[in-house]
Amino acid sequence: MIDSRPVSYKKVSDMPEMPAAFNSISWNKTGTWRYIKPRYQDKLAPCREGCPAGEDIEKYIELIKEERYVEAYMLIMEENPFPSVCGRVCYHPCEDNCNRRNFDREVSINSLERLVADFARTTKKGEAFLAKERQANVRNKMKRKVAIVGSGPAGLTCAFHLARIGYNVTVYEALSEIGGILAVGIPDYRLPKDILKWEINQILSLGVEVKTNLKIGKDIEFEKIRRGHDCVFLATGAHKNRKLGIPGDDLPGVYSGLDFLRRVNTGQRVELGEFVAVIGGGNTAIDVARSALRLKKKVKILYRRTKNEMPANEEEISEAEREGAILEFLAAPVRVIEENGRIIGMECVRMRLGNVDSGGRRTPVPVKESNFIIEADNIITATGEETDFSYLPEDIRINEGAVEIDMVGATSINGVFAGGDIIDQPRTVVHAIGSGKRGAIAIDCFIKGKNPLAFMEDIELGSKGSVSMRCYTDGAGDNEKNRTIVGFENINLDYFEVSERGRMPYVSVKNRLKGFKEVKLGLSREIALRDAERCFSCGSCTCCDNCYIFCPDISVLRKEGEEGYIFDYDHCKGCGICAEECPRYVISMEEEER
Amino acid sequence: MKKLIMGNHAVSFGVMLSRVDVIAAYPITPQTQVVELLSEMCADKKINTRFLKVESEHSAMASCIGASTAGARTFTATSSQGLLLMHELLHWAAGARLPIVMANVNRALGPAWNIWTEETDSLAQRDTGWIQMYCESNQEILDTVFQAYKIAEKTLLPLMLAYDGFYLSHTLEPVDIPDQKTVDSFLPGYEPQIKVDVDNPNAFGSIAYPEHYMEMRYLIKKAMDGVRDVAVKVNDEFRDIFKRGYGIIEKYKTEDARVLLITTGTAASTTRIVIDNLRKRGNKIGMIRIKMFRPFPSQEIRDAVRGYDKIAVIDRNMSFGVGGIFAQEIRAALSGYSNMPVVFEFIAGLGGRDITPNTIEEITKYTLNHERGEEGGIWAGLKI
Amino acid sequence: MGGIKDLKKTEIEHMHPGHFACQGCGAPLAMRYVIRALGKRTVVVIPAGCFSVIQSPFPYSTMKVPVVHCAFETAASTASGIRAALDMNGNGDVHVLAWAGDGATFDIGLQALSGAAERNENIIYGCYDNEAYMNTGIQRSSATPYGAWTTTTPERQFKDSPKKNIIEILAGHKIPYAATASVAYPEDLARKAEKARDMKGTRFLHILAPCPPGWRSSTEKTIKIARLATLTKVFPLYEVINGEEYIINVQPKKIPVSEYFKHQMRFRHLKEEEIKDIQKRVDYEWERLLNRSMMEGFNNK
Repeated sequence: MIDSRPVSYKKVSDMPEMPAAFNSISWNKTGTWRYIKPRYQDKLAPCREGCPAGEDIEKYIELIKEERYVEAYMLIMEENPFPSVCGRVCYHPCEDNCNRRNFDREVSINSLERLVADFARTTKKGEAFLAKERQANVRNKMKRKVAIVGSGPAGLTCAFHLARIGYNVTVYEALSEIGGILAVGIPDYRLPKDILKWEINQILSLGVEVKTNLKIGKDIEFEKIRRGHDCVFLATGAHKNRKLGIPGDDLPGVYSGLDFLRRVNTGQRVELGEFVAVIGGGNTAIDVARSALRLKKKVKILYRRTKNEMPANEEEISEAEREGAILEFLAAPVRVIEENGRIIGMECVRMRLGNVDSGGRRTPVPVKESNFIIEADNIITATGEETDFSYLPEDIRINEGAVEIDMVGATSINGVFAGGDIIDQPRTVVHAIGSGKRGAIAIDCFIKGKNPLAFMEDIELGSKGSVSMRCYTDGAGDNEKNRTIVGFENINLDYFEVSERGRMPYVSVKNRLKGFKEVKLGLSREIALRDAERCFSCGSCTCCDNCYIFCPDISVLRKEGEEGYIFDYDHCKGCGICAEECPRYVISMEEEER
Repeated sequence: MKKLIMGNHAVSFGVMLSRVDVIAAYPITPQTQVVELLSEMCADKKINTRFLKVESEHSAMASCIGASTAGARTFTATSSQGLLLMHELLHWAAGARLPIVMANVNRALGPAWNIWTEETDSLAQRDTGWIQMYCESNQEILDTVFQAYKIAEKTLLPLMLAYDGFYLSHTLEPVDIPDQKTVDSFLPGYEPQIKVDVDNPNAFGSIAYPEHYMEMRYLIKKAMDGVRDVAVKVNDEFRDIFKRGYGIIEKYKTEDARVLLITTGTAASTTRIVIDNLRKRGNKIGMIRIKMFRPFPSQEIRDAVRGYDKIAVIDRNMSFGVGGIFAQEIRAALSGYSNMPVVFEFIAGLGGRDITPNTIEEITKYTLNHERGEEGGIWAGLKI
Repeated sequence: MGGIKDLKKTEIEHMHPGHFACQGCGAPLAMRYVIRALGKRTVVVIPAGCFSVIQSPFPYSTMKVPVVHCAFETAASTASGIRAALDMNGNGDVHVLAWAGDGATFDIGLQALSGAAERNENIIYGCYDNEAYMNTGIQRSSATPYGAWTTTTPERQFKDSPKKNIIEILAGHKIPYAATASVAYPEDLARKAEKARDMKGTRFLHILAPCPPGWRSSTEKTIKIARLATLTKVFPLYEVINGEEYIINVQPKKIPVSEYFKHQMRFRHLKEEEIKDIQKRVDYEWERLLNRSMMEGFNNK
C-alpha cells in the first residue's frame, strides 16, 4: 500500500467487488487532534547551575561513560582550567545540587573530575591538547595587553581565558610561589604540589607571562601597571591575618594560620611545641590542624560555635577528627598564659548560642564564670583572613572589606576589574575560578567595546551566578536550556535502580600521619565508570529510545544519519507519553497554538 | 461410475471431486454422514483437503469465511439448529462476497426436538444473500455441488444446496459419479481476484461509512441479479459435458394442466407420481418444481403460470404470521401482473410428517373444487 | 537505562501513523511491537472491538500487512480457517495473528478460542486487554478487574467478580505457549512475540493495554500505569510452556496496589477496607503463581 491520499469513489463501478481496502491511512493528519504538543528541549542539569565554575558536568560525565577521558578533560578546560585542583579541594556544590541525591546518593562528580584530570596528566594527553590550543592562539593573537595582579585561582583563571581569546597576559605575583592559596594555603596531603605545578604549567603554556616576587604597591606602582596595560584584573586575595585581640596575642609562639601554612607548604621548618591549639572553624583552621598533626603534635581546635555552624567542609572536619584532632566546641580564647616569655596554656571561656545574627547564624555569647584552662605550647589563629587594598588608588570603591564590582567584575575604576577573595562572594577556590572567568569576559567586552550585559542571557547558566565561557566564545547559548533547571520531580525514576555510590579509597590514618602524602587515592576506572552510569543526565538526551518506543502513533522518528529524534507533527496526537517516559526531562509539553 | 449411495454421501463425493481445499464442519443429525465420509476420504488421502473439526457450526462458518478470504475453495454442511447458529455469519459471508458452498440437510426446528425433514431452516435464511438451490434426488445433489462452485465463484456469492433430511440424506439411490478428469473439465480451480496476499495487502471488511455502504450492498444486489443467467449458462455447460441438467425451475406435464402444483424437494417426486395417476383418471394436473429459490425465479414462474386459472403451492415450511414461504414469494412475483392464476396455499409435511400421494390428491381436489384458498394456507393432513 | 537497543533490529514499522486510536491508547503500541516481531508475512484477523476502529475505515488501512475483519466472536475460528487455506495454497510460512480485545477473547469469543486451542491450531492469538468493552463505551467484561467502575458496574455496584484468568484457562488446554505481556515492557513483549513466532501450534499473548478514557487516567500515564500493574503484582509477567512450565519474567517490587489505583479514577471509590482485601488477594495470587513456577513440565521429567 503506497497510496496515501484520501480516496473518493464516484461510482459503484469504481469500487472493488469485495469489501477490500487497499489504501494507507497515513494521509490522515491526526496531529489536528492535539491540544498540547511535545518539543525536544535540552534543559540545564542542576549540577551545572550549582557549579560556580560553570562546568558542563552532565556532558563530561557522558564522555566518561564512553571512556573518552581526554574529551572530558577538554570540555572541563573550556570553563575551568583547574580540574586537578577542583577534583581534590572543591567543596563540590555540584554534588549538593545533584538530583540523584534525592533518590539514593549523589553522583561522585568531584571524584570523576579528578579522574579525568589525572588521566590527562598521567597519559600526557592533557599537554597535547593545550599544545594544539597554543598553536591556534598564534593565529588569533592580538596586540592587547592585560595585567593580572595575583596568581591565585582567580587570577590564573582570568589569565587562561584571556590567553585563549588571544590577549597578551602578564600575571604579577608578590610571592615566589605561583598559585596563591593553592600553593601556600592548601597543604600537600590535599593538593600535592607537583600536581598543582603541572596544572599551572598547563595554563602558562598558553603564553601567560608570570612575574614573581613583584609586590604591587611596594616593588612597583599600581598606576604603572595600569598605564602599561589595556586592562587590569585584581585578584590579590585575602592574606592578612586577623589578630585574636586578647592579651598575649603578640607573644612569640602565637602564629597566624596563613603564615604557618605558607611555611609548611614551602618546606620551611616551623618551631612547635607538643601541644598546639588552633583557633577557628574554617578550612584554614582544619588545614592548620591536620598539618600540625603530621608534624607529630597534639592538636586541639577551639571553635566558638558548634560543629553544625563550622564553615569548614564536613569531610575535612571528620578527617581531622579521625586523624586525632580534638574539637572543642563553644569555646573562645580569653588570654594567652605565659611563663618566662614562653606560652604554656590558654584561658578560655565557654560560649552558648544566643540570637541569630545578620548572617543567619546564632551569636555566641560567653557564659559567665565558665572559664577554663587548656594546655598549649603554641597558638595558631585561623579566625578569618582580611584583604589589603593599600596598593590601590583612593578612588576605588570598597565596601566592608570587599572591592565593589558590577555583575561581571568591573570596579569603580575604568578598565580595572576584580575577582576572587577580594570581592564579596563565598571564599572558595571554585568561586574564585568563576569570578576569574567572568572577569575575562568583562575585559574582553571592555576592550572590544561590547556591553557585557547584552550577553548575559546567552551565557548565564541558571540563576546562581555561573556563566559559560563556551557560550560566550560561540556567541550564543541555548537560552531556554540555560534558564530551565531539571528538578528532581522531573526525573522518571522508573528507569533507575537504587545503587551504591562509588567509594573513595583513603590512605589509613596511621600511614597518613607519617607525612604529607595525598590522603585520597582516587577512584579506580571501574568504580568511576559505575558511578558515572548513575548520572541521570538531567536535561540531555542520551538516545535511550524511550520516546521512540512508547509512541502509540509512531510519531517519534529517528533522525536520518545522526543520533536523535524528531516528532512527526502531522500525526502526533499530543498524548504526552513521550514526555512522561523521558527519564530526564528532555521533552517539554506545550499548549498547541491554533 | 454408478453407485448406490445416500444423499449425504453424494455430497461427500461432490466435495471430493470439486477439489475443495478447506472444510470446516460440526456434526448434526441428519448431516453426519457427509462429514464422516469426508473424514475418511481425507485420512485416505483421496482428497487434498484440510478438514477443521470445529467446535460449533458458528465456528464452522467463521472458519470457512476465513479460509475463503485466504483464497481457498471451502465447504461446510449442516442442518436446522446448526444452520440457525450460523445465521449471523451467513450474512457476513454474503456481504464479504465469498463463494462458500454449504450443504444444508433440511430438518425441522426445535422445540420440540425434531430430526425429520422440514424446509423452514434453509428458507429462514432467505434474506442473508445466499444463493439457494433445492434438490430432489441424490444424483441432483451430486451434480448441484459441481454447479454450485462454478456459480458461486463466478458471481462471488455463497451458495447453499438444500435437500430433505432422511428422505434423501439417508436413502440410497443409484448415482452416476463422474471421474475426476471429467469434473476438472467442467470445474476449474478457484482463482480469486482479491484475497489475503502478503505481497498485495489489503484490509478486508473494514468499517464503511454510509457514503460507501449502500454501494457495497448494491454490488451484492447486482451480483445476485446476475445469478439467474449464470446458473442457466452453467447448467448448459454442465449438460454439454454430463448429458444431464436441471435448470432453475422444472416443469412437469404443465402444458395442458388445469391446475399447477408448485413444490420442491422430495415432495416433487411424490407429486410426479400423483400427477401420473390423476392423468390416468382424466385429471390434467401439472407441476412446477422450484430448484433455485434464491434469487427467486420470478420471471420464470410468471412465464410458467401465466394464463392458468389456479396454482397450488405446497410448502413444507412455515413462516408464522404470514404462511408458506414459497407461497409468499410466488404471490409477490405474480402481484400486479395480468392473467395470473389464483394462488392456493398449502402447508404440508412439517416435522417429517409424510407427504403421501393421498395428501397431494387431497390438495389437488381442494384446489379444483374451490374458488380460492385460505389466507395463510391450509394445513394439509392436520389432525384437528 | 531505559531504551531497548535490540528492537533496532527491525527498524521497519508495519503500521502507518494516522490511525484512529485515542490519545495515549495502549492497543496500537502493543500491535506495533508484535507486528514488528512477526514481520510482513503476517495476516491479522481483527474481530469487533477497538482495533476495528483503530484500523481505519474503508477504503483505508493502518496495517501494512493483510487484515481480515471478522465477526465479534469469531477471531479464533476465522484465524483457523485462514491458517488452513494458507497451508493449502503454499503459504504455510505466513503467520496468522488473531488480534482481539478482552471482550472478544474472554467472553463472546471464548468458545472459538477454546476450540482453536484444543485443536492446537497453528495461529498466534494476541489479546490486547483494556479490561472492558471499550469500543462500545466502557461496559464491563469478564476481564474487568474486581472493584473497577465501568458503565455497567457503576460505583455503587462496582464489579464484584474477579478478573478471569485467561492464561490459566489456556494452560488447561496445554497449548505450547501462553504468556502475559505489557506495553510498559516492550523488550519483553517483543521477545515473547519473537518466541511465539518461532513456535508452532496455538500461541497466546495476553497483553495489558491501558485505556485512558476507560480507566479514567491521564493520557500520558499509560506506560506508567501498565508498569505499576506489573510491579504491584496485579498483572505479573510470566510465560507458560505446554500448560505446565511457568516462567516468571519480571520481579515485582514492594509497592502496594494503592499506588497502582491512584492513577486511575475507575478505582477512586474503593474504601480502605476494600483496597486491603484486594491487596490480600493480589498477594495470594502471586504466591500461587510462585508455587506453580516451582514445578517442572511433564516433558522435562
